[in-house]
Amino acid sequence: MKKIMYSVILIIAAAILSAPILSSNVHAAGISIDAGLTPPQKRWIFRSQVRFMQRTNDPTPMGREMKMYMFPAVVAYGLRPDLTLMVRQAAGRSEMLMNGNSDSQSGLADLFVLAKFRMSRINTASYTIGMAPTIGLEMPTGQDGFTSDSWDPHLGYFISGRSGPWGLDLNALYVWNGMAKTGDSDSEPGDEFSLDAAFAYQYGFGDDAEYAFAPVVELSYKKINSNSINDIIVENTGESFFQLSPGFKFTRSSFIVESLLQLPVWQDQEGIQTERDIGFLVGLRFMY
Amino acid sequence: MTAQRIFRTFWFIPILALAIALGCGSSRPDISAVANENNEIRVYEVFGMDCPGCHDGLEKLVNEIPEVVTSKANWEKQRLQVVLKSNSNVDDAIILSAIEKANFTAGKRLQ
Repeated sequence: MKKIMYSVILIIAAAILSAPILSSNVHAAGISIDAGLTPPQKRWIFRSQVRFMQRTNDPTPMGREMKMYMFPAVVAYGLRPDLTLMVRQAAGRSEMLMNGNSDSQSGLADLFVLAKFRMSRINTASYTIGMAPTIGLEMPTGQDGFTSDSWDPHLGYFISGRSGPWGLDLNALYVWNGMAKTGDSDSEPGDEFSLDAAFAYQYGFGDDAEYAFAPVVELSYKKINSNSINDIIVENTGESFFQLSPGFKFTRSSFIVESLLQLPVWQDQEGIQTERDIGFLVGLRFMY
Repeated sequence: MTAQRIFRTFWFIPILALAIALGCGSSRPDISAVANENNEIRVYEVFGMDCPGCHDGLEKLVNEIPEVVTSKANWEKQRLQVVLKSNSNVDDAIILSAIEKANFTAGKRLQ
């Protein structure tokens, strides 16, 4: 028990210490495993991630490049068997290169709260299926450069299926960006729609199957609408992309480590924008 | 300069490795060490557990029952072992309720 407490303290300390160097676009896509299965009542889940993404291949002669590190920390609690509450605070650091000059920015991002409901859960000897809609709200609490300056509602739907060692997860998420703006900027960020599918095959091992290792492949599609000012579209904003993400999930009782390498397969940028390049994420989960 | 860049990019890896080491060191309940001849051991089928992460969530709720000494779940075998205090007479419904609260479904009582 002492070791577990040390682990929790370590992760929380890592999340807090990393806060000052932490990113804007922090919607926690990636690693969709188990999202449709609501946790047990009274279950605490602490989740911390390190996410890295980069943009390269500038079509202009300015040679623009961007690297972004994001550090979302999540606390979730099973209030009832059919209701899970979640709070997420992220921080980030971005490094930009343009015309040979580099610039960097760090700050806390917007606070995000979410409720997940168990709409359906079927457990049988041969399969398990769970369906869970979510309602979330991103609040404009972040620092300049890392906040949307608006209240952004999220609506999601998550389906998880398990049959023996096989797992399939499907997620759909819509984000109304720019609703109820609070900042001075007239620009309204475009809404976002994403679809994720994750496939996993789990190997259990140990005397009491207390370990499990699962190779994972996640397919992600995301469309981000262009920004607008007074209903006029802002040029060079908005994109669609499709990612293929191989990775793994390792579970040891109350502890999970998971990682994905995000490979852009297809992307369509509006106007003249840099392209998404390879990204990765590493996540830890402690559950009590 | 190169070492600095590497550290700035991968500073989290030592923390991750330490967390993995600590996480892997946590122990599971040992039923044979806890139970003696006076304890009743019950075994239930439980459906819906899909990884070792489910063990603790279920055991936490079952262990809250005052008459329970300890419990141990196995997701692969779809089993839950419950060790009861001597001379306790816990209704199965109480244990089944704990399984439901963990979002799992109880099957037959096997022992």
